[in-house]
Amino acid sequence: MNVMTLEHTRTIDEVKTSFALALEMAKDEGHKVVGCLCSYFPREVAWAAGAITVGLCGTTQGPIEAAEQVLPADQCPMVKATYGRAINNTCPIFPLADCIVGETTCDGRKKMYEVLGREKSMHVMDLPQKPENPAALRYWIDEVHRLKGFLEAQLDCRITHDALLAAIEQGNRERVLLKRIHQCRKSHPVPIMGLDLVALSTSMSYTIDRKHYLKELESVLEELRRRIAAKQFACSADRPRILWTGLGNSLGCDKVLRLVEQSGGVVVCQEGCGGVTRMDDQIDPGDDPIEAIARRYLKVTCASMSPNNTRFEQIDRLITEYKIQGVIDLAWQSCHAFNIESFRVREVVKEKHGLPYLHIVTDYSQSDVGQLKVRIEGFIEQIKFGLGR
Amino acid sequence: MTAVNGFYAGIDVGSLTAKSVIIDHSGIVAAKIIRTGAVPQKAGEAVFQKVLDRAHCRREEIRRIVATGYGRISLPFADKALTEISCHAKGVRFLNPDVASLIDIGGQDSKAITLNKDGSVADFIMNDRCAAGTGRFLEIMAGALEVNIDDFSRLSVRTGEPCQINSTCIVFAESEVISLLAAGNSRSDIAAGLHQSIARRVGTMARRLKPFKNTAFVGGVAKNQGLCRALENVLGAGFMPIDADVQITGALGAAIFAKEQVLQEQKNECHDVGTYKND
Repeated sequence: MNVMTLEHTRTIDEVKTSFALALEMAKDEGHKVVGCLCSYFPREVAWAAGAITVGLCGTTQGPIEAAEQVLPADQCPMVKATYGRAINNTCPIFPLADCIVGETTCDGRKKMYEVLGREKSMHVMDLPQKPENPAALRYWIDEVHRLKGFLEAQLDCRITHDALLAAIEQGNRERVLLKRIHQCRKSHPVPIMGLDLVALSTSMSYTIDRKHYLKELESVLEELRRRIAAKQFACSADRPRILWTGLGNSLGCDKVLRLVEQSGGVVVCQEGCGGVTRMDDQIDPGDDPIEAIARRYLKVTCASMSPNNTRFEQIDRLITEYKIQGVIDLAWQSCHAFNIESFRVREVVKEKHGLPYLHIVTDYSQSDVGQLKVRIEGFIEQIKFGLGR
Repeated sequence: MTAVNGFYAGIDVGSLTAKSVIIDHSGIVAAKIIRTGAVPQKAGEAVFQKVLDRAHCRREEIRRIVATGYGRISLPFADKALTEISCHAKGVRFLNPDVASLIDIGGQDSKAITLNKDGSVADFIMNDRCAAGTGRFLEIMAGALEVNIDDFSRLSVRTGEPCQINSTCIVFAESEVISLLAAGNSRSDIAAGLHQSIARRVGTMARRLKPFKNTAFVGGVAKNQGLCRALENVLGAGFMPIDADVQITGALGAAIFAKEQVLQEQKNECHDVGTYKND
């Protein structure tokens, strides 16, 4: 990655392979590695144990065939690819993890974790799924305590109060910088294309030295602000400004995002995992850091939660804040939760804001690219020809 | 020559047929439909030449060409490519200003589109990556019944009791049809069952868009009277009349866009908007 040009051309497999080399050296120096699979994972607890955290989600088509020898074919591609990478030795990072942590989000994930747990020491946190229920937080705090116990036993360490406070401070600083980076895209036109930011932020997130990661984020932010001041934009003002919601905005599984920007749109804001909304929730350590951490992670929005009202409030707010002209909502095939929730996203986008809305259901393969192009180009035309109505 | 004078062409290269329309300031001058075959670029070239001949028009007299359909990007001589979503909406609205929504069923996909008051696209929805509810589905099923596509449609309206066809997958539907034939069902009842199955599928998809009313039915499959009736039953309303061949509305819309864009360019101005690298 080049921080000055913000250019990023490596594939996700190249990113992971070079990261694995650095990870191997870190392990030789005695560092422990915790594999994580979801935005609900309270990373600060693992950092307080002195561990390096690494994302293990599969975002490519390659390992799916291997996974289908065990999992049914009509499963979500994320579930299949994550499992496939772990069992067919194509993930250079998976073998380096000392243990992995998952959460009971959707059925696909939690049942897959039962078989994934055969490959590696694994802990599954029981995520309460009605977050507005007062008992949910109490339960989740206990789960974060149990995670702490698991990590202490697995990594043979003590997680201290001070180490938790330091980890919270680190997480908060990362979120502040990432939020400011995302907010640069309120500029019209934007200083960076959506795909470029996704590639850059995915790639930077594979980090061993989190202090160095902060420096990288600062450089990116500085460069984006310089561009805005110098009026060096990433695209013309004619491109429709798109809000991305749902899934499919990370490097590797970026097929649709790529098509949107090739078809003349620009993604200026992302809601959900990998997006700006995850950066809003900071941790106020207070007296009990574990409780504070639990409180923050229960705010994460996912369609596996019921009701998932915060998501709709955030989409509503972001449409105005980022001067959105159209919303794309992507769900993976067989992701029942996001697929059903799209009905409510449509209501917010079309009925409340009167904006064009496109719901896309797809997987990691290239087989539907021709059809997707028609939809996406049609959607961009719908926005452009509808302007000034 | 002023902007509105002259000829404009639209070319719609679909998966099964290629269509071309030439318009002038007053309306349609000529239209032509041919089979697409295996090379969409050749089909686009050929249908354009044929429509020029029919219009007694030379290529240099065409001021702008807009291409649409699946082959829209394979026509190097077109000035611009637009999707059939925008083009059908434009073409249908030109032919009947009272239309508020439309269903387009072509060779490889089906679409439902709703329109804003000004005729622009309000919303649209398409079938997923599956041939159920497409022209190709009908062709394969007609093949399974050993009738040509026109007789297939006619058979379906002569039914006593339509068969229930539950498969939406083209391969499974074909074996379901073979089982029904083996069980002694008439071809007429099976044909009617197939038409109803498509009508239910497309109708359900269309009604996800609200409101879905004052509907026009276009695309090659709209010529199938059996399916027309079946869809009207599912939607609970008759289709709005379209005063032209329902298969050419995409190409017509493309030609109208060609004309409108020539007009628009004369109005455009330039402003200083800073520098940018991707456009």
